[in-house]
Amino acid sequence: MMELENFNVVCFMCNWAFCQEEMQIPSDLNIVRVMCIGRIDPAIILETLEKGMDGVMLVGCKPPDCHFIDGNLQAERAVKMLRKLLKLTGLETERIKLLWYSPTDEKTFAYYAKKFLKEIKEIGFSPLKRGAPKSKLLVNVLAAKNAASDFRLRVLLGREKELTEGVNVYGEKFSVEEFDALLDEIVTEEFVRHKIHVLTKTEPLSVKALADVLEMKTANVLRHIVNMRRKNMIALDHVEGTTPLYKALEVK
Amino acid sequence: MTAKTETNVRKLPPCRAACPAHVNVQGYVALIQRGKFKEAVEIIRRDMPFPAICGRVCFSPCEDACARVNVDQAVAIRGLKRLVADIERETGRIKSEPIPKKYGEKIAIIGAGPAGLTAAYELAKLGYPVTVFERMSETGGMMRYCIPEFRLEKFVVANEIAYIKDLGVEIKTGVEFGKDITIQTLQDEGYKAIFLAIGTQLGMKLNVPGEDLEGVINAVDFLRTVNLGEHVEVGERVAVVGGGNTAMDAARMAKKLGAKEVTILYRRSREEMPALPHEVELAEKDGIKFYFLVAPKQIIGENGKVKAIECLRMRLGEPDESGRRRPIPISFSEHQYEVDMVIPALGQVAETSCMPKELLNKEARAPSIKVDPATLETNMLGVFAGGDIATGPASIIEAVGAGKRAAVSIHRYLQGIDLRSGREEVEETTWVKNWGYINKKERRYEPPVEKPRLSFEETREYLENLKQHAMFEAFRCLGCGPCAECLANLELCEGDKAVVDETLCIGCNVCAVVCPFGAIKKNEKEIAQVNEDLCKGCGICAARCPEKAITMKKLPNEKILSLALAIVKG
Repeated sequence: MMELENFNVVCFMCNWAFCQEEMQIPSDLNIVRVMCIGRIDPAIILETLEKGMDGVMLVGCKPPDCHFIDGNLQAERAVKMLRKLLKLTGLETERIKLLWYSPTDEKTFAYYAKKFLKEIKEIGFSPLKRGAPKSKLLVNVLAAKNAASDFRLRVLLGREKELTEGVNVYGEKFSVEEFDALLDEIVTEEFVRHKIHVLTKTEPLSVKALADVLEMKTANVLRHIVNMRRKNMIALDHVEGTTPLYKALEVK
Repeated sequence: MTAKTETNVRKLPPCRAACPAHVNVQGYVALIQRGKFKEAVEIIRRDMPFPAICGRVCFSPCEDACARVNVDQAVAIRGLKRLVADIERETGRIKSEPIPKKYGEKIAIIGAGPAGLTAAYELAKLGYPVTVFERMSETGGMMRYCIPEFRLEKFVVANEIAYIKDLGVEIKTGVEFGKDITIQTLQDEGYKAIFLAIGTQLGMKLNVPGEDLEGVINAVDFLRTVNLGEHVEVGERVAVVGGGNTAMDAARMAKKLGAKEVTILYRRSREEMPALPHEVELAEKDGIKFYFLVAPKQIIGENGKVKAIECLRMRLGEPDESGRRRPIPISFSEHQYEVDMVIPALGQVAETSCMPKELLNKEARAPSIKVDPATLETNMLGVFAGGDIATGPASIIEAVGAGKRAAVSIHRYLQGIDLRSGREEVEETTWVKNWGYINKKERRYEPPVEKPRLSFEETREYLENLKQHAMFEAFRCLGCGPCAECLANLELCEGDKAVVDETLCIGCNVCAVVCPFGAIKKNEKEIAQVNEDLCKGCGICAARCPEKAITMKKLPNEKILSLALAIVKG
């Protein structure tokens, strides 16, 4: 019914939205069923993209019918953050799609799957496909993946519901817009830090060299490096002339 | 009673805890939500063999217990059960395979009613060779002989019993206990355990003068004769005495057989009637009249035939031991109704003449067998009894519950395990703390009473329409219990639970925030702790834990990743 050709598309699907009999799933579409679509760790999605996946589809139950009350909304939050991260990497954000589906829908799942595949075909193969090693994009995606699996973004993501719907321990309440701005800021910071970390992993680099690659002001790069040294992500390797060179430390 | 220990208490949602057979309501309703009708029937069959029968005639204690009543009305559980069972029957039931016999001990079950058949079903599933002996020519007991066709179709009963037979249960009909076989002969033949489930077959008498007149027929005998396909002459004006479901059945049956006027005489008022409200409505729809607060004093005859029934007026006094107000006769209030047929429907008693004397319960008012209520043991070793014979007339689902308990006891007895210690006990659990958060969604689904006659295409459309309604109704279920154990996807969850690696946990509390059910809390050591009773295994905490201290046992992140990457080409 449809040709995947050489496209690699993975579809993470909530087990509760899944209905074998009625779905007529194309046999070559890789469907990974999970208990709830909120179960998908954002780092997993970025890792599949890093490994050359052309498209990732997330299928969850149509709100408000989540079997786990708001697991589908958790997935929505994760996708929102992922899109922000992807934008920074330069990879097309359309490669990730979140679909609300219910077996009672008028249109079949096959219809949506086909539509998504068509979109992916229009975008084309993933540039990471045949392992373009050390390319700028790969560094970016790696940085994004590390950022997504690091503490700060995960806490923020996990706390989003609490922060936007309730109040935090200081009695403050975030509006959705405020949270969004906060998320933007932290996503960018974390992305840059992890990019520095990835870049300095192979060879020690100076602030100046990093600033060139990152296209940022040296002062800002230095600020990140100070921060990263405090968190034991990076250390001074040696000094060349008067220029200190930094090298990444292994993060647990 | 058994001591409550940590291991044998099962936490169940209210509906499942209320059901005598503990049918996994939350599980099959969850599957109906997602359109998995066939799997839903399998879930019901895990706990009892009669989804279609109970979908029609169960008194549904689950709906009474449904937590949804705190918001609006209960979920239409019985209707949903009926629908899935009917869909399965109409689309063709997959023939079940005989279960291989794991054990050699033969078991005899006396009586092929709901209790006996359930015990046979459960024991056959465990791997025992089971033989069921039935006095009548057909199996099903009260389900076949006492419930009229318009409430429970015979082919439905036959289909459910065929399923049990397919599992390898041997059923011998036309064998009368006490005449053809006795406990002694069965034991001589090598049956290691015997389960007596003969039920209550005799209709209770009115104990008023004139009861042996022509035209007085007990409701049980009346229904049984009709169900056997024999012709019964009904009068023009029929009086049915009693207020239970049998009275409703007998009255409606008499009406359908051509009686001009059928009246139900009941000694208390409408509120105290034991019949299901739904059944009473149907009786009223059929044009049955009700006289409340009257009790028959005598039946007046003419030429040996019934001419009239003389009644006394009653008033209600203090509540008695059953909690209902006791009827007190009003003196000199005798009056007569002119009738030509009287059907007493006052309940049933057991026929104990076939039983050995030492089994009988001498203290009880009605004749019954003395059993231990928890284990269903009788005074004789290796002989168990349950169902109506032990409890007095009750319902199908209670008999099913007794059959299940008996099966557990017999298995333990045959394997030399103590009958009492460690038996499962049930406790009600729900995670819902505040009902105010739940949106109202009115109950709209009512099961169809009769299937309309339709052509092939129309049937398809009709079924689709029913399915849509059922899914809508199923979504009203709050899923308020712990994990439903529907095991919709065995390879995925198998009752997956979150596990915390205490060395990695830093007590950031993210898991407690994301858990939809409040199943994770920090303990006094500031380490996350999973409450396994509430964890439903969604894994959202594992996807969010900043330190990756939480993993799912069956489906960890690494496995999801490897499954996703399994297809990457080039």
